[in-house]
Amino acid sequence: MSLLVSLAVLGGLAAGAPLLTRALGRNAGYVLAAGFLAVAGVLAAHAPTVLDDRTVDWGVEWVPELGVSLALRLDGVSLVFSLVALVVGALVMAYCCRYLSDTAARGPVYPLLTLFAAAMVGLVLADDLVLLYVFWEITTLCSFALVSTAGAKAAGPGRHALVVTVVGGLALLVAVVLLTLAAGTTRLSAVLADPAAVLDSPYAVAVAACVAVAAFTKSAQFPFQSWLPGAMVAMTPVSAYLHAATMVKAGIYLLVRMSPLFAGQTAWSAVLITVGLTTALLGAVQALREHDLKAVLARSTVSQLGLLVAVIGVGTATALAAALLHTVAHALFKATLFMLVGIIDKETGSRDVRELSGLRTVMPWTAAATAVAALSMAGVPPMLGFVSKEYLFMGLLSADVTPWAGPVAGAVAVIASALTFAYGARIVWGAFGGPVEQPDLYEPAPAFLAPAAVAAAVGVAAGPAVSLLDPVIDSATTDALPGSTPPSVYAWHGLSPELAMSTATVAVGLVLFWQRDRVDAALQRLRLPDGPALFTRGHDALLALGGRVGAPDRSPTLAAHLARPLLAVVALGVVGLVTVGPLPGRVDAGDPGRWLVVALLAAAVLGTVLATRTVALVALVGVTGLFVALWLLLSGALDVAITLLLVEVLTAVVLVLVLRGRPLRLPAPGPRRRPAAVLAVAVGLVAAGATAALTGRRELSAAGTFFLDRAEELTGGTNVVNTVLVDFRGLDTLLESVVVGVAALGLLLLGSATVPHPTDTDDVLLRVGTRLLAPGMLLLSAWLLWRGHDQPGGGFISALVAGIAVALRQLASGTVPTSRWLRPRVLLGAGAVLSVGVGVAPLAVGDALLTPFSLLPSLSSALVFDVGVWLMVLALVVAVVQALGARPRHELEGAAA
Amino acid sequence: MTAAVAVGLLVAGGAYLVLQRGLLRVVLGFVLLGHAMVVLVLAAGGDRGGFALPGNGAGETADPLPQAFVLTAVVIAFAVTVYLLGLLRAGSDEPDDDARGPS
Repeated sequence: MSLLVSLAVLGGLAAGAPLLTRALGRNAGYVLAAGFLAVAGVLAAHAPTVLDDRTVDWGVEWVPELGVSLALRLDGVSLVFSLVALVVGALVMAYCCRYLSDTAARGPVYPLLTLFAAAMVGLVLADDLVLLYVFWEITTLCSFALVSTAGAKAAGPGRHALVVTVVGGLALLVAVVLLTLAAGTTRLSAVLADPAAVLDSPYAVAVAACVAVAAFTKSAQFPFQSWLPGAMVAMTPVSAYLHAATMVKAGIYLLVRMSPLFAGQTAWSAVLITVGLTTALLGAVQALREHDLKAVLARSTVSQLGLLVAVIGVGTATALAAALLHTVAHALFKATLFMLVGIIDKETGSRDVRELSGLRTVMPWTAAATAVAALSMAGVPPMLGFVSKEYLFMGLLSADVTPWAGPVAGAVAVIASALTFAYGARIVWGAFGGPVEQPDLYEPAPAFLAPAAVAAAVGVAAGPAVSLLDPVIDSATTDALPGSTPPSVYAWHGLSPELAMSTATVAVGLVLFWQRDRVDAALQRLRLPDGPALFTRGHDALLALGGRVGAPDRSPTLAAHLARPLLAVVALGVVGLVTVGPLPGRVDAGDPGRWLVVALLAAAVLGTVLATRTVALVALVGVTGLFVALWLLLSGALDVAITLLLVEVLTAVVLVLVLRGRPLRLPAPGPRRRPAAVLAVAVGLVAAGATAALTGRRELSAAGTFFLDRAEELTGGTNVVNTVLVDFRGLDTLLESVVVGVAALGLLLLGSATVPHPTDTDDVLLRVGTRLLAPGMLLLSAWLLWRGHDQPGGGFISALVAGIAVALRQLASGTVPTSRWLRPRVLLGAGAVLSVGVGVAPLAVGDALLTPFSLLPSLSSALVFDVGVWLMVLALVVAVVQALGARPRHELEGAAA
Repeated sequence: MTAAVAVGLLVAGGAYLVLQRGLLRVVLGFVLLGHAMVVLVLAAGGDRGGFALPGNGAGETADPLPQAFVLTAVVIAFAVTVYLLGLLRAGSDEPDDDARGPS
């Protein structure tokens, strides 16, 4: 429970940070630091349990369907990492109180840093893979947001860091999924307790690779390392906390955490040692080349992380103990150095190591703290950095992938450390040596210096007193490598190989420092790959590739978009041709009359294709529709045929309304006529073939038989198709009315951009004829509606008849129908209320939605439902006439101009 | 087999029209494609002729279920067509918006 409380307190601090800064300004950092220390105290209070090689657990189900739980566990490893995150966090928060201005403190820095701390602690406490992943990503996002507070100059580096770490996050997600598949649980401790389940699964290699990529990106390992120096555009507290002490250690944490699975596997060791040492060497060379102190420290962090990765790769108890110890040491001295560089930068106005000189006189305390931390980094006794480096050497020497792995790894580590000594010495020299060049400088306020000084002092004191850390390191190593016997940690090893290596490091480092001008000149000539530039080039290439892939979708021509589904149909046809096996025989009615209709249809379709004039095209499409209706009629679909016929008439009327005053000629067919014809013929062949193959080969369906046999008995209606529409499948019809209603509303919206458009027609026949016909058509409509249940007719058909009456009136008189009842909104609303009301009513007595019931002895609710459909379809027709019968506004404006 | 030929003709004609310049051709191409689907769905019910009215024996009558589906589809196709025509009307004086883009 106290684990949850710890996380909740941190989360609460993050949420409350804006309020704190409003009340306290930049001093809010002290409250946050106190909170961090309190949480650290709560966690440290569990130390006796943890040191006894037990764990503190808390968990509650999160997504039980997936077996994911909010599980937290405190063991040795998480104790070390969470205390580092919280204690360094507290120091950085206290540092912020003097580093930030009150204005900057009211910005997002405090909340984000606190949120990051919460996520980092959550990450190391998580005992569920999914939870671990979530916290991992939160740290990435916090890092991006914090880097972005540096403004415009952070855009490029911020994106670089985000993309690289997000790629790593995705790799981690893949690893999490595969681990869950392999182990059958997302519980981290359960996965780690049974390495065989993972190692014997087919995913073992993929999991190891994904975990490694995730760790390498987060911890800035070769070849992903270049994001970290770029992230230094962020303000100093962010660099000190995220990009030196904690966030970049998340990758280290992950590797340590996964050690029970992979430690001792040859490939794992080989990859980690190779990548780690490459990074260590490259980072150290680049650090020595830099003159900007912050850049030196950033490269140095990369280098030190490389050593950590390499030593974790070795995978022995000594090596893992060394990794844990050095993680602590590095967090201490690197955070200290960053904070001090921030102070020096603020005081002297420069971070160039060549310009620092004689600070010992004007800023003695700052200079002393800097020197102490730098010596710890350089591995000079008796600092903690010296002790941890000794263990690093010891760990690397124990590498046993091949017989020569240990000595080679040790030698490379010595070279990297000698370079570290050299740039460490340059920082010390800048702080102490040389004449005073800026005599008017003065020591920063004690409160500003204190956090860094405390960390520096701890770094010194912890060296000789390192055996106090022994139980913690011991416990953590046992957790990281169950069943191992970790070495005892103490400051003085006696005359050991490590001491010889340390001596060599210092000696080479001194030479490099002594000859620093020559070394500097040589290093400046060195051509090293420019990471950010490479990233930018790759990023741009990726975006360009995306542009090319997406280009067809941005085509302004409709045909480019429409051709693709048609091509897909052709492809489907080819697949069908290959895969469809023998088919059952045809059950054809065989009817010469329909062949005649199809022949006429062919002529009409050919006509539409060749038409060059608007009128011809419209007429021929109408004729095509009539032949289709005829075919339907001969095939026994009476209701459909009538409906289609009416729809054709209405469509023709609408087309006339739309095309008034438009060019009579169609645009000339462009160069795409020929490929379009080829594609059209191919699609037509596929459609014909598929229809021939897949229809007309079975007897009446069971559903069809049921409707024909039982419809009259169940519904009292004799028009089976209509009973299907209103009695059996009312929901289909209701939803279809909704589509009609949406189209009507859409047209009304389009129509709102238009004004009524009275036209005079001198066609006396049309005017008089419409006057005479309209009442009769409305009567016919009502009759069709009434009898629809028993005879061909029904809501659709009768609404279309009424609609034609309305449309013809519009065409003849040129005025928009203005009757109060003929407003589409009223019709739509009434229709929706009727059909939904009748549909919902059965629910009141416990029947299913849309169950037909008897209103009066001879009046079924189905008729009322059909009236609702009638109203909505009529609404569509009226909306069409109103929207399209009016002139578009731009026409009017054009006329006025 | 008449259904197959009719579907093939309508699909070919519709596909050709939707690939042409000019929104009017595209809209009417969709009308033809809609007709093709009507014929196809109806054919899926079998090829028997005879009206789906009780009294006609189950052996000769057309399947009523696809007819009900298609009836719905015809009205929806009409709604979509008039909406497209509304867009065509409201969009521009030029009947051929499409022709102005690179082709």
